[in-house]
Amino acid sequence: MIENLTDISVEQLLTEAHNMLFDDYRFITATCVDNGDETLDVIYHFDKDLEMKNFKIRVQKGAEVPSISKIYFCALLVENEMKELFGINITNIAIDYGGHMLLSDDDLESPMLRQQITIERKGDK
Amino acid sequence: MPKTIIPFGPQHPVLPEPLHLKLVMQDETIVEAIPAIGYVHRGLEKLTETKEFTQNVYIVERICGICSFMHALTYCQGIESLMGVEVPPRARFLRVIWAELHRIHSHLLWLGLLADAFGFESLFMQCWRNREKVMDIMEETCGSRVIISGNTIGGTRRDISSEMLVKISSVADEIRDDLKRVEPVFFNDYTVKHRLVGVGVLEREKAYVLGAAGPMARGSGIRQDLRMTGYAAYGELDFEPIVETDGDCYARTMVRLKEVYQSIELIKQAASIIPEGEISVPVKGFPKGEVVSRVEQPRGEVLYYMRGNGTKNLDRLRVRTPTFANIPALLQMLPGSQLADVPVLILTIDPCISCTER
Repeated sequence: MIENLTDISVEQLLTEAHNMLFDDYRFITATCVDNGDETLDVIYHFDKDLEMKNFKIRVQKGAEVPSISKIYFCALLVENEMKELFGINITNIAIDYGGHMLLSDDDLESPMLRQQITIERKGDK
Repeated sequence: MPKTIIPFGPQHPVLPEPLHLKLVMQDETIVEAIPAIGYVHRGLEKLTETKEFTQNVYIVERICGICSFMHALTYCQGIESLMGVEVPPRARFLRVIWAELHRIHSHLLWLGLLADAFGFESLFMQCWRNREKVMDIMEETCGSRVIISGNTIGGTRRDISSEMLVKISSVADEIRDDLKRVEPVFFNDYTVKHRLVGVGVLEREKAYVLGAAGPMARGSGIRQDLRMTGYAAYGELDFEPIVETDGDCYARTMVRLKEVYQSIELIKQAASIIPEGEISVPVKGFPKGEVVSRVEQPRGEVLYYMRGNGTKNLDRLRVRTPTFANIPALLQMLPGSQLADVPVLILTIDPCISCTER
């Protein structure tokens, strides 16, 4: 139900971001979603004349994804946020906060990931 | 010349909310600015995954006090789109009226804060005195002044009577007349112009590539206003986005000031043609699929991404607020500016840190 959504591979990401800049698109933001099966979807949202164009990549948890902040500087905040809250290893961010943009040392790691809770009763082992 | 680092914030008289900037200085000139946020991160996106999709309306309203109605509007429009809900025409017009009232109170609040930032106390008080009239209307129509909770999935929670609509139009005229009296100070006063004209210039191309939103983008000559997409009842109303081309603090001030008049006209238009009828429709079932919903808040474009899985809980709710989009532009504007201009410059992006950090 998202208009103009295209699935791409991680390898195509930088090329598509370059194409968007060349075609005069504005970067709005990116969204990360935990699929609950060890994979994450990252959706990059662009806009031109109020029409959106979206690209989706699917990566394994903890996978390496190149930063687009060298192409769109404004991506740096959301990339730091995704790195911190979802544990995606986004490389070469223009300003890398090293996982401490929103969270302090005492906070949970990757708190937006779905937590697996196992209840063990006495005698289960 | 040696460089020094001056910490700006997180507590500063000009900042209503905590934002920290490391300013790398050479004499009085800024060379680089590095932001530090995270002081009011509440994990609201995570919280929405644990609540029912109907309860999330109350959570998103609390992301920000100033634009609480617009947050709920964006969320409700997204869920309505996912579930194929047709909102009654009267509710769409009511949404416009409350949304524009929010825009007026946000812009008047900001104009007052700006006046306070450059030390014009009486101008600050005049703006906030005028804003009180909007807050009173909120209270009279919804029972509270800030988080009015007017939206529900499928329409609005309250109606506005025809007598009240007449009163709102008349109060809107009063607000316009009062603003006309203080407007020359913003437009022509020597001290005001001295602090704003030519300060923090953001060229059109830079603003666009940096993803600037709202008055920040329109102050740099970008004709970008989500209301042009015609959501709610905007498609049935006549308006043109306010655009200024100079890209400085003065241009951004002009955009916001003129948008107050524009909102008054939109309210009067909506009040004059609002149809009779239901204000909400019942909603059955659970949201499934993914959707993006966008609305023009006072500070600019807000984007909600939602993914439903056919149960009462959403898989994901992502919120990108306008201040989040305007911080990169701020970082590019600061280098080259004087230290004394930093408070006013930061204020002209109209920062809302609660929104930014959620």
